[in-house]
Amino acid sequence: MPLVNLPAFAPDLIADLEKLGTERVDMPVIQPAEPFLDMAGEDLRRRIFMTESETGKSLCLRPEFTIPVCLRHIETATGTPRRYAYLGEVFRQRREGSNEFYQAGIEDLGEPDVARADARAVRDALNVLANRLPGKKLSVVLGDQSVFEAVVAACGLPAGWQKRLVHAFGNQAQLQRLMDDLSDPAPSGVFGPEVERLAILGKLDDETTLIAHIDETMEATGYSTNASRSPADIARRLREKMELANTRLDGRTLALLREFLALELSLAEAPEALAVFADKVGLSLGEALARFESRVTALREAGVDPSGIIYRAAFGRPLDYYTGLVFEITPEGDGLVLAGGGRFDRLLTLLGARERIPAVGFSLWLDRIASVKGAAA
Amino acid sequence: MTITIGLPSKGRMKEDSSAVLARAGFSVVAVGNDRSYRGRVEGRDDIEIAFLSASEISREIANGTVDFGVTGEDLVREGLAEADARVEFCARLGFGHADVVVAVPEIWLDVDTMADLGDVAADFRARHGRRLTIATKYWRLTQQFFSGNHGIQLYRIVESLGATEGAPASGSADIIVDITSTGSTLTANHLKILSDGVILKSEACLVRARKPEHEGNSVAAEIIERVRKAL
Repeated sequence: MPLVNLPAFAPDLIADLEKLGTERVDMPVIQPAEPFLDMAGEDLRRRIFMTESETGKSLCLRPEFTIPVCLRHIETATGTPRRYAYLGEVFRQRREGSNEFYQAGIEDLGEPDVARADARAVRDALNVLANRLPGKKLSVVLGDQSVFEAVVAACGLPAGWQKRLVHAFGNQAQLQRLMDDLSDPAPSGVFGPEVERLAILGKLDDETTLIAHIDETMEATGYSTNASRSPADIARRLREKMELANTRLDGRTLALLREFLALELSLAEAPEALAVFADKVGLSLGEALARFESRVTALREAGVDPSGIIYRAAFGRPLDYYTGLVFEITPEGDGLVLAGGGRFDRLLTLLGARERIPAVGFSLWLDRIASVKGAAA
Repeated sequence: MTITIGLPSKGRMKEDSSAVLARAGFSVVAVGNDRSYRGRVEGRDDIEIAFLSASEISREIANGTVDFGVTGEDLVREGLAEADARVEFCARLGFGHADVVVAVPEIWLDVDTMADLGDVAADFRARHGRRLTIATKYWRLTQQFFSGNHGIQLYRIVESLGATEGAPASGSADIIVDITSTGSTLTANHLKILSDGVILKSEACLVRARKPEHEGNSVAAEIIERVRKAL
């Protein structure tokens, strides 16, 4: 009996993935829910199917493969580099489409040549799709969070703001709101009455005095023994916040950030355009630009023509473990995402790996590929 | 058709809702003794009363077993996804006031807005090896407010069914989302409300289940109109 929703082309697709020199892995459908919620945030709770074990442990139906594959890699401690392939059902509450559908993909863990691994992920995703959808024209959009990070850093913005901007990257509405907020000429920051009182008493002038005061108060109110944020943490951030209260994002920097975020052009022309942008505005994007360029070169070497890829500077994923490349592949002239991928160099450490493991991967939406195939047939 | 109104089965909420209905000309009496869970309105065979616990009322409205209910807006918005599509808030009744708020330890001198909290949450894992935790029984309201309104994703909810205000001092969570009417419990626990941390200003409401059979129903229309006029 055929499995519900499993497209007929699945065996060919997994064979394609294995031909790329990957190791096929399978994961239990029932997974501990904690790692997913911890990595993606509480908002995911509404979109996954959760249950509890008899002992009260939170479990969920596998909502994706990246986290389970990475956890398995850490547990089995098999060393790197390794490339894993998977194909299986995932379960998510979606507004459109079925709540259970198949995904397949590759997770490429520990390849030290980052440009090569990035290029390979884009190429493999494209080739696997092209094999299933012969003759179909595909569009690729590519973004890179590390370029935005470099722009923000080169603008010389205060560290607190850099973090906020980078954190909002990939979420257009939030980033827009944040930039408006930071450029609003009114002094920013709300300080409570206690801070005003301490200012009058002169307890804010010196960090040691402030830390001692916070420590005493915590002691007196019974917060000290269990506190997550220490007096030093609080004092440090309070001083940062006071310094920022009278600093505003100036018009020039704002215009520059906007100009950068509006960049959208062929990837083949992107390194040149970024260099011109950096020159024009007098920023040094050094390393980030070099990495960007070597990725374009690696793509050419891998046989992918960068002129067929769109680079969109504002394209990113607002998840804190994505670090660089992100890409999406759609049918030309259609917004339906058939494949999505990116670099997540922070994920394995967050999941408990002892050493830093660079990682890149992509996943394919089998139901969407099937629908495009069906429409073409 | 008979119209059923779900009312709180005990305490101040029970008295206050009966009083509003009485002012609207619907005198509620229990069927049998006063502990009974069924009631009627004097002189009205077309209205039934079901006495339910406050949290049951939002559920019964959602599945349509009662036509109207008197309950806190917080319970309805927490209990139902897309509440406005499923129920109509017909009248705000002026009692049962409670704000659902985000409160943090007073000693977090650097945190007075949601933006501050976003900064702290973004860094939390790197500094403390885990996500920022929020003790609350308001899962849905918290998620909507943090993720939807403020773009804050990096936190974890720790379910708390009682004495939520004590969670930050005891170390079971960093901050809380809870209801408060006067703020005195928060102050007693050395917590402060963020300046833009009021998620919902809740009070008791007359709530109608959006049922097609209410269309053109004169009793349903009369209940809404008379309760509104009685306020």
